Amino acid sequence: MTPEAWSGGLWPYFALILFGFLPSEVWRMLSIIVGHGIDEKSELLEWVRAVATALLAGVVANILLTPSGALATVPLVARVGAMVIGLGVFALTRRSVIAGVAAGEAAIVSAAWWFAG
Amino acid sequence: MSVQESETPGTQGRAYWLRRGIMVAARLPIFVMAFTFLGIGGLAREAGVPLGVALLSTVTIWAGPAQVIYFGALINGVALPAIALSISLSSIRLLPMCVSLLPVLRQSAGSRLTLLYAMHQVAVTVWAESIQAIRQIPPHGRMPWFMGLAHSLVIAALLATWIGYTLAATLPHAFAAGLLFITPIYFTSTLARNAREPIDWIALSSGFVLAPMLKGIVGAGLDLMIIGLVGGTAAWLWQKRVRRHGAHL
Repeated sequence: MTPEAWSGGLWPYFALILFGFLPSEVWRMLSIIVGHGIDEKSELLEWVRAVATALLAGVVANILLTPSGALATVPLVARVGAMVIGLGVFALTRRSVIAGVAAGEAAIVSAAWWFAG
Repeated sequence: MSVQESETPGTQGRAYWLRRGIMVAARLPIFVMAFTFLGIGGLAREAGVPLGVALLSTVTIWAGPAQVIYFGALINGVALPAIALSISLSSIRLLPMCVSLLPVLRQSAGSRLTLLYAMHQVAVTVWAESIQAIRQIPPHGRMPWFMGLAHSLVIAALLATWIGYTLAATLPHAFAAGLLFITPIYFTSTLARNAREPIDWIALSSGFVLAPMLKGIVGAGLDLMIIGLVGGTAAWLWQKRVRRHGAHL
């Protein structure tokens, strides 16, 4: 039987669990084994935290560099520009994330509107 | 944040910390989640899956990028095993996030099952909001605080998935671009807000420096692992050097 034959019914749910949920969840469950015995104040934990931070920054940079969908229609210069504006406002408002996000969003929506026209 | 509770820190019960966790979520993260998951709901509708699958993906996968990959790949007719592989690659980032939260939460977890459940709640937003803040909370209050934060975000994401799926209206172009931009700007400011020491700043900037350098050289997924390991290790080594010599950045 092909997956098509099961379409409808419960197949989409099973497919999600098998091909979406489990391949992703395996990393979370693995952390229980890997993280077992790491002390809260250890240098190792500090390293793991730095790795996670760098990785996350990489995810963000990749979204800016090669975005998908509507964001891809905004030129790279404008995407980076909106980021700089957002972070600039964030810095000027003594690290207010809300102000930074609002400013960055205003900039990107204006840019998207401008370049679409 | 609140001044109503005048008790000294460390004496409040679990309900107090649960409430504090919910309050952290209510400040900005739930709105970020809502906007992100509006898009995911719409994408699921486009992929032709039932609403139940869209909602189930939010509580099970519980990682925006992986959900975008899943529904996006369904739309493009990618074979399911290939989808599973790219999802697994994109979710590697969850491992260091979970590992860094685990020791902080362990003491207040009670049972191993609670800890497993807590690890399931770890996603980028939950991590970014808790990794710095949770260390200021007395150990017994950490798990309720974390659960309050995480569950508020799950509920907001579920509602947004449902609304996004139901409306599935063709969003105005500029608004759609704004939805996609919320992830980069929110995470970068949150990571910057979390940054206290040189190690945080170096780790954060190394991601931005290394990502363009590795673009096109190594494949997706692998490049992120390299960024994490190289950038994180460099930041950590620098921090050690600073501590030893008392140098300033």
